Amino acid sequence: MHTGDAGLPPILVVDDNHDNAEIIRQYLEIRGYPITVAHNGDEALAVYETVRPAVVLLDVMMPGRDGWEVCRIMKQHPTLGKNVRIIMVTALDAWDDKREALQLGADDYVEKPFDLPTLAKTVQRNLAQMRAAS
Amino acid sequence: MSESILLTDTDVAAVRDAVALLDGWRLEPRALPELGAALGEQGVRALLVTTSDPSLLRSSIELAHARGVPTVVGCADETARRRAVELKAEEWFQLPGTPKEISDRIWSAVARGAGLGSAMAERVDRVEYEQMLYDSLTGLPTLPVAIERSRQLFKERGELVVLYFSFVRYSKIEEIYGWEKLDSVLETTASAVRDFLDDDDLGASRVMVSFTNDDDFIFFHVPASGVAAATDGEITEMTTRLQRHVGAKIEEAHGEDIAALFDIYVGRAHLYYNPKIRLERLIYRGIREAANASRSLEQRERARRVADLRTSLRDRMVYVDYHPIVVASTREIFGYEALARGQMRTLRSPEVMFDVAAEADLIWELSRLCRARALEGMDTRLAPGQLLFLNVDPHDFTDPAFNEKEVTDPSRVVIEITERTAIKDYPKFRERLKAFRNLGYRFAVDDAGSGYAGLGSIANLEPDFIKLDISLINAIDTNFIKQNLVQTMVRFADDHNAMVIAEGVERAEEFKTVQELGVHLVQGFFLHRPQSATAPAPSPVRVASA
Repeated sequence: MHTGDAGLPPILVVDDNHDNAEIIRQYLEIRGYPITVAHNGDEALAVYETVRPAVVLLDVMMPGRDGWEVCRIMKQHPTLGKNVRIIMVTALDAWDDKREALQLGADDYVEKPFDLPTLAKTVQRNLAQMRAAS
Repeated sequence: MSESILLTDTDVAAVRDAVALLDGWRLEPRALPELGAALGEQGVRALLVTTSDPSLLRSSIELAHARGVPTVVGCADETARRRAVELKAEEWFQLPGTPKEISDRIWSAVARGAGLGSAMAERVDRVEYEQMLYDSLTGLPTLPVAIERSRQLFKERGELVVLYFSFVRYSKIEEIYGWEKLDSVLETTASAVRDFLDDDDLGASRVMVSFTNDDDFIFFHVPASGVAAATDGEITEMTTRLQRHVGAKIEEAHGEDIAALFDIYVGRAHLYYNPKIRLERLIYRGIREAANASRSLEQRERARRVADLRTSLRDRMVYVDYHPIVVASTREIFGYEALARGQMRTLRSPEVMFDVAAEADLIWELSRLCRARALEGMDTRLAPGQLLFLNVDPHDFTDPAFNEKEVTDPSRVVIEITERTAIKDYPKFRERLKAFRNLGYRFAVDDAGSGYAGLGSIANLEPDFIKLDISLINAIDTNFIKQNLVQTMVRFADDHNAMVIAEGVERAEEFKTVQELGVHLVQGFFLHRPQSATAPAPSPVRVASA
């Protein structure tokens, strides 16, 4: 698999739960992805231009700026917006939740609670999609 | 070296041991009420609080932040954690916590307190503001930026021409095809405008472009020094060329249907610099004047179109394109959707035609003509067994002339009802549907999933076919949320004995994806273009004379 591949694109993990963020970080780091963690929306936006993530794993329920708002702002970024895949981490069970997610520019979602292999698979399919597009 | 002090409201062993792990740190336990005062003491580098009292927690964190001291919160439960995050504590940990973890948290809080804070707020603000200055789609500066840039030139040259480009019915594109389509049409528009300006000399003068974040563009044309401002004639001529250029580019990139949908109207205002009046105000007034001019042009054009429509109705100047609907697995033609179009160039697009009809209260009459035309082709255009999909507006059911006896073979007709139009009187509407159904007509819900309503409103109509909204199909191969939605719809249809139709399939990847998702029927340019026996030549975009 991708393990140890130095060319893997950076991923930004945004979760206000430090433990969750840490678990995701470790799991993905072992698979070779460079990971940056942010614990709230502002932090995520502050590091966005520095990290230039290919994929953002974005928790929806965060105090302050929630995941939806962060998603919208990231997708509207003049240069980075078109080159980022945003995966919302939330239970989107209702139809209108998903429509809303589409409207804000989200590309995919992982249902909470998730298991790590599912999460990794979701990241992979979005990266594959991105490669196919470029 | 001076000692670093961790101020805290607790004296538990884990925290003591944590501080012992930190080189050069000392623990300073205090009772909560005294913490505030102690924060100002020499050497305090961090605060660690474990109180579960929300107001005490709030006040101590606020005091600490006011003094620039980062805070770590020991949280007893999930609620406490939420609270800590909400109060923007730099770090938190779950009580009781191990000494190692607590010391790590203290370190990270100190690091974050130093590295972030105001610097972080600045960066966040920048990311937020940047997108307000330039439109992310088109890369064009927004109005405040454009005004700022033209300020000096305007003063120097003494005059400025504002051109207001109103793109009518762009909102319709969004309504029908979804925001992603409109975004990409706007992108095409902006780039067409840009390369037009690069090529255009316009008396070697400077032209600024701005984008209002809606569907209109504003140009500032400042005549170059030593060159006279463009005359009205020159500007009219330029806008005509620009309109053609943009229209051609849009047709090239997005097809005739979209190009036929919109119009461009250009209004103009000529401003002269006046030191007595604030420049911004002058420019804003000019913009308003130019916008009004474009609107009055639009009004005049509308009146002309109503006249065109009346002529079309009288002379039955509507023809029908038949757009094949195929079986996803075999690509066999299953039926045709009848798409009515105006023969007059100004009324090509059905949306435009019905818009004009709505204005002139001619909806029923136009619907009758379109239906009659569609049914006329049934025997000549359709092979036996193929179905005709007929668009019917819920309004049409109130038309006394529209009745279930209109068709000789109802079992070959599928009536498409759009989910977009609100149905007011549900029980009555269902009653009408039943009368049609009893004679063998079938029903399709058009644009399913376009609203937020979801599956419930669709179930109410008990459709035989569910036609997915185009916005769900557009780029479905790259968006996994869309795939999930379509999958849900297919499952729903299977449960309700209905078939799902994906329309607007334009690319091989989209076709493959909807096939894989189990969609039953497919319609779109990727497979077939609408077929027409008597289509007039494709119309260029309409040119408004200024």
